[in-house]
Amino acid sequence: MVSYLRIKNSLTAISKGFTRIWRTSLKFRLGFTIFIAILCLGAISIATPGYYKNWYYFRKDTPPQLTSLDFLFGITTNGRSVFWILVNAIINSLAIAAVTTLIASHLGLFIGMVAGIKGGWIDRVLMFITDTFVTIPGFPLLYVLSMTLRPILTLPLLGLLISITSWPWPARQVRAIVLSLRERDYVTVARLSGMGTAKIIISEIFPHLLGWHLINATNTVLYSIGSEAGLAILGLSILQEDTLGTMIYWCQHFGALYRGIWWWITPPITALIILFVSLYLISAGLQEYFNPRLRG
Amino acid sequence: MVSKHLVQYIVGRVITYVVTLFTAFTIIFLLLKAIPTSIVELIVESMRATGTVYDPRALIELREALYEIFGLRGSLLEQYTTFLRRFLSMDFGPSMISFPTPARELVLRFLPWTIGLLTFTTILSWVIGNILGALASLFRKSSASKILRGVALTVYPIPYYILALILIFLLCYVIPVFPIGGGAPTAPFLSLEFWRQVVHRSFLPAISIIIPSMFGWWFLSSSTLTLNTLSEDYYVYGELRGLPKSYLFKKYVLRNILLPQTTALALALGGIFGGALLTEAVFAYPGLGLLLYRSVGSGDYGVALSILSLSIIGISTATLIIDLAYPLIDPRVRYR
Repeated sequence: MVSYLRIKNSLTAISKGFTRIWRTSLKFRLGFTIFIAILCLGAISIATPGYYKNWYYFRKDTPPQLTSLDFLFGITTNGRSVFWILVNAIINSLAIAAVTTLIASHLGLFIGMVAGIKGGWIDRVLMFITDTFVTIPGFPLLYVLSMTLRPILTLPLLGLLISITSWPWPARQVRAIVLSLRERDYVTVARLSGMGTAKIIISEIFPHLLGWHLINATNTVLYSIGSEAGLAILGLSILQEDTLGTMIYWCQHFGALYRGIWWWITPPITALIILFVSLYLISAGLQEYFNPRLRG
Repeated sequence: MVSKHLVQYIVGRVITYVVTLFTAFTIIFLLLKAIPTSIVELIVESMRATGTVYDPRALIELREALYEIFGLRGSLLEQYTTFLRRFLSMDFGPSMISFPTPARELVLRFLPWTIGLLTFTTILSWVIGNILGALASLFRKSSASKILRGVALTVYPIPYYILALILIFLLCYVIPVFPIGGGAPTAPFLSLEFWRQVVHRSFLPAISIIIPSMFGWWFLSSSTLTLNTLSEDYYVYGELRGLPKSYLFKKYVLRNILLPQTTALALALGGIFGGALLTEAVFAYPGLGLLLYRSVGSGDYGVALSILSLSIIGISTATLIIDLAYPLIDPRVRYR
């Protein structure tokens, strides 16, 4: 019963916060609406017909029953419907991004908080590891990693790989924020009243980081989709799966740009740009909400 | 005055620098070792594929010799010490992708292209982006700055390689002004024609890097920093004193935003040695990024390691310099 109440309370808190951000920032409203629209487009992929993946396998005397949806965006040179590839690509790219966001942003948050709160040698060891990862250039590292793991690469694993390069910076930033928070009076009071470290982190420090964490999570989604597309353009993503990146890769592979097959190359690029702009608007809107100075 | 704390701080920082370098090198070494392609087998395969019949014993000897030359013999630990020695002397043995040119020579041949392109684009976009960003925040109400901000909001999130693809399509295919693949110039070295070709071939890669970083990152960060400065008490006071806007801009705004932006510039310059992997791959621009792309793709440890080591050294040296110089630039920061 108590836990039910707690869940209900936090749900109302979330919806209240959301309404407030929604009212404050035009950017957030705009970005969120576009993002939901893209998500809805991606959600159509549930209805994907089974033959979409390789309908060029069908024998000529028993062709698949095509609907007009198949021809909505035209077809590729090997006879696949661009529409179904696009909706699946959107969902797969977002799935990779979801994995990265879940892992990387929380790992960064956790390591930064622990290092900031604990201090001493724990801080030094954690920051040393972080600094080492900051030193290795991100995209080349990702390139080498995916080259190494290529035979066993799956979508979630790709998300995990991208996380490896995207947690160190957030960790450093969280640590800096926590270091300044740690010296505040109320934290000292909490500590002197016998509150445990975990309790202090959850109820005294984390609420101040929540805004920052939301913004960082949004940026991680952006980073993740971008990295996957970058890898795919070099031919190192999972080429047999449809993501926004691999879609561009295959377009380039079959020279779609130079053969004038614009209906194949335009959807993934437009989808990427719209997705990126909407996510960036969300993040900028959140920033405006949490840092009123920026409302210009 | 050199205090004891200062010396302690510098020594500690330098030790961290060295240890970080070695750890990063080790991680990269282990990763490269795990790449499934073996260049020696590739070389032997390609020799056999020409159709000539070789004596099997000679082939085995050749394979042994190649493993020896590339430092791939022995256990992992032995190989690690070999490469560590090569890392310390910055001599990574012969390259495998264009055998027998030494890896160092290969890297040095590609280096000027990357350095030239990236130094130019980074500094140019830094200067213009920062000034534009500060001005746009200073004259918030004007329509020009509104347009600029709109452009920045759209351009910043777009990845530069997407922009590169669009540029290639528009300026190489629809209106063929620029070459599709930018290779090294054919004209004799240092002639006028040589420079014309260099500019002609680096133009598109440069533009595709400059636009997102100038209108995107530098513009946005500097306008955010300026907004923060504008709401500080000393700025409001200066405004109330009736100081001219140009004076306020130079002395009150620029100085304050230059601090964090210089740090970011130094980091960006330190990152140059990694090359712009994607841009160079998309434009076939003969820089370190393209070399890295090829060497990792074919399992050439020597070349890949030397490029990655260069970029590790670049970034960590930049960080070291910033950490040591920051207290000199910013009097609010003290050595702890």
